[in-house]
Amino acid sequence: MQEYSSQAAYDRGEAVCVIGAGASGLIAVKNLRENGFEVDCYERDTVLGGLWNPQNQHSPLYPNTHLVTSRSQTEIPDFPMPDDWPDYPSATQMLEYLTSYAKHFGLSEHIWYGSEISHLEPVEGARFEVVVKPAAGAAARRLRYGAVIIATGHHWAPNLPSYPGLDEFRGTVMHSSQLKDPSRLRGKHVLVVGGGNSGVDIACEAAVNAASCVHSVRRGAWHLPKYLGGEPSDYALARLASRPKFLRRFLADRILKGPKLLAERMGIETPGHGPGSEEPVRNGRYLEHVGDGSIKRRGEVARFDGYDVAFADGTEIRPDLVVLATGYQPKIACVAPELLGGTPDQPAPQLFARMFSPKAQTLAVAGLVEPGVGVLPIVHWQTHAIARWLQVRKSDPERAESFKLQVNAESSHNAAGAADDSPRRRLVVDAEEYLASLGRIIDTLEQEPAK
Amino acid sequence: MSLTAWIRRARTPEPVPVRREIAVFEPADLFDIEIKDNPETNPVLCCTSDAAGAAAFNALWLKRIASSGRYAAAVSVRGQGGTPAAVGGAEARAHDVVQAAVTVPRQTVLIGHREGAAWAALAAGRYPAAGLVLVSPQRFPKQLPKPVGEPPVLLVVSESETQSKEVQAVADEYGITPLTFAGAPDDVFKGAAAEGLLDAILSWLDAQQR
Repeated sequence: MQEYSSQAAYDRGEAVCVIGAGASGLIAVKNLRENGFEVDCYERDTVLGGLWNPQNQHSPLYPNTHLVTSRSQTEIPDFPMPDDWPDYPSATQMLEYLTSYAKHFGLSEHIWYGSEISHLEPVEGARFEVVVKPAAGAAARRLRYGAVIIATGHHWAPNLPSYPGLDEFRGTVMHSSQLKDPSRLRGKHVLVVGGGNSGVDIACEAAVNAASCVHSVRRGAWHLPKYLGGEPSDYALARLASRPKFLRRFLADRILKGPKLLAERMGIETPGHGPGSEEPVRNGRYLEHVGDGSIKRRGEVARFDGYDVAFADGTEIRPDLVVLATGYQPKIACVAPELLGGTPDQPAPQLFARMFSPKAQTLAVAGLVEPGVGVLPIVHWQTHAIARWLQVRKSDPERAESFKLQVNAESSHNAAGAADDSPRRRLVVDAEEYLASLGRIIDTLEQEPAK
Repeated sequence: MSLTAWIRRARTPEPVPVRREIAVFEPADLFDIEIKDNPETNPVLCCTSDAAGAAAFNALWLKRIASSGRYAAAVSVRGQGGTPAAVGGAEARAHDVVQAAVTVPRQTVLIGHREGAAWAALAAGRYPAAGLVLVSPQRFPKQLPKPVGEPPVLLVVSESETQSKEVQAVADEYGITPLTFAGAPDDVFKGAAAEGLLDAILSWLDAQQR
């Protein structure tokens, strides 16, 4: 194999490199193209759609995955989903939607499949050199780009907890992403670990298919049904934000009273803060399954012991199959953590406004947030802002300077909650606040030059 | 589309969905060996306030557009032609146009006639149209959204309308000068005047492509 360092980098001029052709990557390519940039998008797999494509060999889909946010809150703002689709489309429909988005805007011709970015480093002139490693055959190539947008998502590296005795456990243990086929649950005694949306969905799947289902949950969470007051619940809650402030609290309490009482009856604590500040569990069937006994809730797992699993409260069960629905580690492998504001002992990215690298002007990350609402619209506005920023940077250095100050100010007040135990919770933002901050950023970038 | 406009829209109830009638004419449907579907060109989606809806474009427009190598489609918004009536004003009709636009295989040009021009302009405020053609616009909304993705805009009016306040306002809004065509503004679907109008629109579209 030819050593890549021996050949000169191919210069792509002002073109932008987008890493990943999942939902975020596709939106980034489209918005950059719309703003007049040349784009090369690299996808390590051979298909587009990222986590929504079951053909993607790393796909984290589990049986019967559906959106947990409703159609109107999840669709890309300038490319609505067909309005005869259900309120909560399935993963298959989501893939169909993303495929038609790519086709409609002719994005495929800018995507290089089977190409992984193995390395990325800044070179002079605020540009980047990337090393593209094809999945098979040819040697790695080096290319230079005017800017890089990382859109690799954060649902790829399973977050696997360690319990004493887990390695010697005699039953089957798998992460939720490995459970592709619901028939694997059939007739088994199943233990589901993890109280997030995937854990709750899989527990519901096991409740109807498996011989028995025990669900181990560490802490309480908001449990919302998919509908509140006759409307999709995220829509109903989002609408509250457009009510007068003094009414909001009252209306929110009224609308959430039912779910809260039900959760308490099932022995689930709801956190003191509202469901907006952390992603709530959105599943209407779960509490009913708990209510009819087909899901038994337990506390934290203490240890694994041969065929048995012991819980912190001293009880033991003997499951055939343990599903670890413990989420994912946000991990960006292609770039040194320092470039994204991390430190060697705290490698998690610390970005300006959750998207701009604090070290390099032309490096940005799209979709590295957990807003508790549909992510696609947020990514749309993020990449819109990034594209505008790249334009302004070139054309108007003066405005770019003042913009940098503003972005600093915007990022200072959402840095809170950075030191938290779970890796996912570090990405949590308040959707309302974050959208407002994105709005201010876009306004600054789009206002006419003062002349 | 601004972020605030999107937030506002995402928090208002969506118009009632209807089964929309969409007439499609592809270059291949002409069975003419000379005419090839040109994937470099943008498709065209038409709408009008004529009660016939999409069917109004069947007589001449769709075939003519298709013979220029473009994918041609027309939509009947709620209450027109084969689309059932449903509640909703101009916004709901713009929603119908956007929903039709996303079913077109590629990024499409929107052509609106009369009130249809107003719906097309509203639709262009939330869908990045490849171009926006307004034919004799009527009842234009006062608060016009900025078109998404800065598409080129063409305003075509009949000779009798050039002095009207409405046309002036629309022209000022987009900062363009209107093209004129001979004939009555309501009678653009067949006849010599229609041919001339279509030629003007198609040659403008070709000029944008380059």
